[in-house]
Amino acid sequence: MTRTLVVAETALRELVRRRSVLVILLLLPLAFYLSRRGDHLGQSIRFVCLGVGWALSTAALFAGSAARGIEPRLRLSGYRSLHLVLGRLLALWTVGVGLSVPYFVLILVDQRDVRYGAIALIMALMVAVAAPFGLLLSAVLPRELEGTLVLLTVVGLQMVMDPADTASRALPFWFSREIGTYAIDHTDGGYLTRGLTQGIAFAVVLTLLVVAASAVRLRQRRHLRFVGA
Amino acid sequence: MNHNAWLAALTGELRRHGVGPDLTGHVVAEAATHLTESGEHPLRVFGPPDAYARAVADSLGGPDRRPPHRRPGPVRLAAQGITKRYRGRTVLDRVDLTVRAGEIAAVVGANGSGKSTFLRICAGLVSPDAGTVRVHGALGYCPQDGGTAEFLDADEHFALVGGGRGLTRDTARRAGRAGAAALDWSPPAGTQARHLSGGTRQKLNLVLARLGEPEVLLLDEPYQGFDRGTYLDFWHEVWRWRDAGKAIVVVTHLLNQLDRVDLVLDLTTPRERAA
Repeated sequence: MTRTLVVAETALRELVRRRSVLVILLLLPLAFYLSRRGDHLGQSIRFVCLGVGWALSTAALFAGSAARGIEPRLRLSGYRSLHLVLGRLLALWTVGVGLSVPYFVLILVDQRDVRYGAIALIMALMVAVAAPFGLLLSAVLPRELEGTLVLLTVVGLQMVMDPADTASRALPFWFSREIGTYAIDHTDGGYLTRGLTQGIAFAVVLTLLVVAASAVRLRQRRHLRFVGA
Repeated sequence: MNHNAWLAALTGELRRHGVGPDLTGHVVAEAATHLTESGEHPLRVFGPPDAYARAVADSLGGPDRRPPHRRPGPVRLAAQGITKRYRGRTVLDRVDLTVRAGEIAAVVGANGSGKSTFLRICAGLVSPDAGTVRVHGALGYCPQDGGTAEFLDADEHFALVGGGRGLTRDTARRAGRAGAAALDWSPPAGTQARHLSGGTRQKLNLVLARLGEPEVLLLDEPYQGFDRGTYLDFWHEVWRWRDAGKAIVVVTHLLNQLDRVDLVLDLTTPRERAA
């Protein structure tokens, strides 16, 4: 646990020091929110949640890519790949909470007649899903540009695809549209259940995939044997 | 420059000029006594530290090049039959290397001969097509570049890498700063790695490899960007680690230090040699 916390603390320091990136990440969801603030209040909530997800995934993608150089050394220094992944996830989840809270407060102040608890749930799930999603992209796509393009594609599809379409359920942030409908349009609990199920499933599966990808990449190779370490 | 700073500088310069630790201690103690008793300024009495150290070294007939007599310890690293191919080209062909405690092995060869690949295989970062590596104890690895985090300062690096070795933050920081001082570097607090020069970043890299006193050290041309003084400090540190019983593998293309290592693994192929 101590090793995980050491990694989490240093990863958080690294993230917080990218000040210009943080400012952009903080403003990105606001741009999404304001884009529909004038004509469709409900849609602006859906968009701001997607904006939070996109911003955090991007931060995770870049944090994961930046860590690739030092992780082999950390592995040799006694860390397990699980320490490295969980530490980085903890840092990103913390940043995600810090990113979401101002927007939740904004919605509390700016919006009426919506289910605030459901919106808080969307944001919590968004943070839980977006961090491992970005890290997974950085694990399978070593070049940041490729990962960024994939992220762009996913968020773009998320915005233009009909949420009722079965294929759209394969997108990682589908739950936000579903729970959003429950929160904004006051639909029945089925929307909430389906969104919650998909969100939790994606959070768990993506986290497991990141752990597995890291374990494979940083595995101890079979040719090397430590004797009496 | 006050007395203490001048004496510290003299210590470093004597070491760089190849004066052994005993004689260095003797010369520095004599100079310190003289300065205390006379109350004079060291620059006026002895001149600049580097000039005085050079004069001392010259009076001794140059640096001591004789390898000290040592008895090698137990095997720490045993690489056997290492073979690696890249795109159909054999880079390493059944390479063997055994390094014991208290030995330095230099890995030499032309560009592209597989020196770094061999070291990365020994570190377990790359898989060979054939062969095995056995390491007795813990492993410290200093890559040729990379290996540091852009947005962390030196103390945070020490805490992070030391944390993996089971060191507390304070212990890691102390050990890191002591290692840095041996390379004539005092890491400024709060200066992130991205703001360090290439040579200073390599010093950080080298200090990180040593944290936690691993039994085996793999150093991949760690002196990139070092000035002459730091380069000499680096070799003196390597010899000191050897004397402390570490097994060290250094990838190098600078052959002028090969007379001070115990083993040389030349990865130049016979065809390259003939050419």
